[in-house]
Amino acid sequence: MSEPLHRRALLRSALQAGLVAGAAALLPRPLAAAPLAKVKADGRLRVGVYADNRPWSWTEGGVLRGIDVDLGKALARALGVEPQVVEFFAGDDLGADLRNVVWRGGLLGFQPCDVMLHVPFDRQLMIENDQVAIVAPYTREGFGLVCGPEGGDCEAPPVQFRGKRIAAETATLSDAYLLGSFGGVLRSNVRHFQSGYAAMAAVGTGTADVAMGTRAQVEAALHDFPAAGLKRRKGPIPALPSPGWDVAMAVKDNSRTLGDALETIVGELVAKGAMASIFATYGVEWHAALAG
Amino acid sequence: MKGTLRRSLAGLATSALASAALVAAVPALADGPTSADIAASATNTSAVLTNGMGPWGQRYSTLTQVNTSTVKNLVPAFASSLGGEKQRGQESQPIVYDGTIYVTGSYSRLFAFDARTGEKKWEYNARLPDGIMPCCDVVNRGAAIHGDKIIFATLDAHLIALNRHTGKVIWNKAIADYQAGYSATAAPMIVKDMVIYGNSGGEFGIVGSVQARDVNTGELIWERPTIEGHVGTLRGQPNGMTGKLNATWTGDLWKTGGGATWLGGTYDPESNLIFMGTGNPGPWNSHLRPGDNLYTSSTLAIDADTGVIKWHFQTTPHDGWDFDGVNEFIPFDATVGGKPMKLGAKADRNGYFFVLDRTNGKFVSASKFVMQTTWANGFNPKTGRPNYNDDNRPGAPVGAEKGKVVFSSPSFLGGKNWMPMAYSQQTGLFYFPSNDWGMDIWNEPIAYKKGAAYLGAGFTIKPIAEDHIGALRAMDPTTGKIVWEYKNKAPLWGGVLTTAGGLVFTGTPEGYLKAFDAKTGQELWKFQTGSGVVGSPVTWQQDGEQYVAVMSGWGGAVPLWGGEVAKTFKEISQGGSLWVFKLPKN
Repeated sequence: MSEPLHRRALLRSALQAGLVAGAAALLPRPLAAAPLAKVKADGRLRVGVYADNRPWSWTEGGVLRGIDVDLGKALARALGVEPQVVEFFAGDDLGADLRNVVWRGGLLGFQPCDVMLHVPFDRQLMIENDQVAIVAPYTREGFGLVCGPEGGDCEAPPVQFRGKRIAAETATLSDAYLLGSFGGVLRSNVRHFQSGYAAMAAVGTGTADVAMGTRAQVEAALHDFPAAGLKRRKGPIPALPSPGWDVAMAVKDNSRTLGDALETIVGELVAKGAMASIFATYGVEWHAALAG
Repeated sequence: MKGTLRRSLAGLATSALASAALVAAVPALADGPTSADIAASATNTSAVLTNGMGPWGQRYSTLTQVNTSTVKNLVPAFASSLGGEKQRGQESQPIVYDGTIYVTGSYSRLFAFDARTGEKKWEYNARLPDGIMPCCDVVNRGAAIHGDKIIFATLDAHLIALNRHTGKVIWNKAIADYQAGYSATAAPMIVKDMVIYGNSGGEFGIVGSVQARDVNTGELIWERPTIEGHVGTLRGQPNGMTGKLNATWTGDLWKTGGGATWLGGTYDPESNLIFMGTGNPGPWNSHLRPGDNLYTSSTLAIDADTGVIKWHFQTTPHDGWDFDGVNEFIPFDATVGGKPMKLGAKADRNGYFFVLDRTNGKFVSASKFVMQTTWANGFNPKTGRPNYNDDNRPGAPVGAEKGKVVFSSPSFLGGKNWMPMAYSQQTGLFYFPSNDWGMDIWNEPIAYKKGAAYLGAGFTIKPIAEDHIGALRAMDPTTGKIVWEYKNKAPLWGGVLTTAGGLVFTGTPEGYLKAFDAKTGQELWKFQTGSGVVGSPVTWQQDGEQYVAVMSGWGGAVPLWGGEVAKTFKEISQGGSLWVFKLPKN
């Protein structure tokens, strides 16, 4: 964690410069062109969110909604500018997303965003993507398991799900856990879905018995399928390779003024309880980031 | 060698006669090449009618005006720019017909140039949704011509047929959903008034397939998924399952098994078989998907009329190195052990050169063509399966620890990647652009995709020789021996052309189009095109003169990978031009 702390210290010092730039148009050009000042001058914050990432961001009936969408709007409002929240399709890895959405833009005309949401606050990612600053961790994600009426004892050791219809999103950590753990005994029972929420919804609609995904996906399903008799596993999932991760946002490496302003706003949203209410709209409990 | 290898042109000659008769009988189709003309195009020296210069894709021309003696005099006739700011990898092969050169460009563009003056006749820019985020580069590998149409595929997974005189759209069909990660970069193929096309896409969750569409309307005729368990269609009706459900896949992993057909294929008119290579299986970590994972990393022979798989050969069963198996399968005839045989050859990403009986897919030989193959020690001639080096399979992650790191050669970019090889009917040799490089590869317990923890694989690509990565190699397919090689500092990424003038042409990232003596490998000529050459050269005769053309414009998958490999090409500038050469008049 020494690397992220170092970055955050840098941001602090950059913040002071940024605030001055925002306050006084009389400053020399390089400072006046600082990204925070530019966002304010444009009167618009362009926020990138993942497509098909329910409950964080997804399109329903032509409307883009979700936790990240509402957070993006709240960030813009706090800066006193108009929100422009846009969705993008995930690339093969986070490096591709940061390149397409934050520092370069898409090769086919997708304009870079001022900030991209839902970026893991991960040291290795920061080292590998030095064109961006990963800032303002705003919640913590982890893994969860949900069982339907035919799912049996949801607290049982996972090997006992053998023979059940087990749902997971293709190629996620949940998928790898189910396919690879316990000598692979669950492998032939795993049913693959294109999104974590779709895996949860399969249990909600009775086409699967158990689903594993992220905590937010589990809670959103419990919220969205109140009559389905879903149970959530309360105990830990044994031998998971990941303890969970903080979810943050990314700005261009030279946009630290904006990054620090966003950190301040996230702190305020948390303190006022506004962050938790955004999450609650979608049935998801807000958890503080460990690094926050 | 000449004694053991006898060429047969009889089949092609018969097709050519048949096509002449057809054209005479149906004058209404006179506006442009018919399917019969295309099937017979390997011997048509006045045009370049298909990707691969004939349905077999041999990239061989019988022209001899430019030859080992005269090639030193070859000079540019003209160069035509693709213009604009869209200068990225130009992997296209020109199509030449009736005084026009058709080339596709990066960003899904198609251009028609006057074949005598180089003046642009028209240009078509596909309107692409700005939300597409291509994984690699925005390349396109060429067009197909038929009648009044020129047809190409776009990055948003559409096939578009344009009027070849005007560039106006005749039909435009979505062949897959780009929002689900599908894309399209290969050159289409015309077989019996059908457009044959594969698919491509990101690493996760897609399933390979081959489609045949009516060339006049773009309507689907048949579709054949490449992964066992999926059901094909013929004229809207189910047409049998690919393979046998759960024979080589566990659970429902076959539903997202991979096997993309991203490079397109070749066609043998005599047996009516389409040969199509398939990509790697998913997920990355091979320990999670025990079994051969059919039909990934394979060559499929598909009946052109029905889309039914007639045979398959898997070059990397249970692929754990992302070798992929899309490389082109090129039919050729030769005498092996005194017996004339109908064969086909494939230089695979996995570093082995395969010769198969093209009538039944039976294994004939597999010969190592790169410096090192760490994953296997040859192939068992009885079973046609690799002798695996089990220690060289990347390990499964244990808890939060990454799996065992192994050094693997070739790297996942392959002993040979997409760049097509050529076969000379004159020398009986195959010429292919290969690369000597390796990688450290491991399975990551935790990577991130779409903002969440995913399965991942880690790679570091590195050179394995002091003096080169690229190597143009000449292989005798009857002995498996490398006859000569030309070493190149940067990785080779462009296609090959060979001619009866005793020549082999290929381009280099350093910007040269080069000509070599087909027998000895001696470099006889080179020309600097101003940017890296990753396209495929062609030749044809026009007004009594032999022309050679190639696209110039650096890009493709190689520049995406940094490290030691990047040092070999960091000074190369981008571009986008068609270069055309001929001998001086006197």
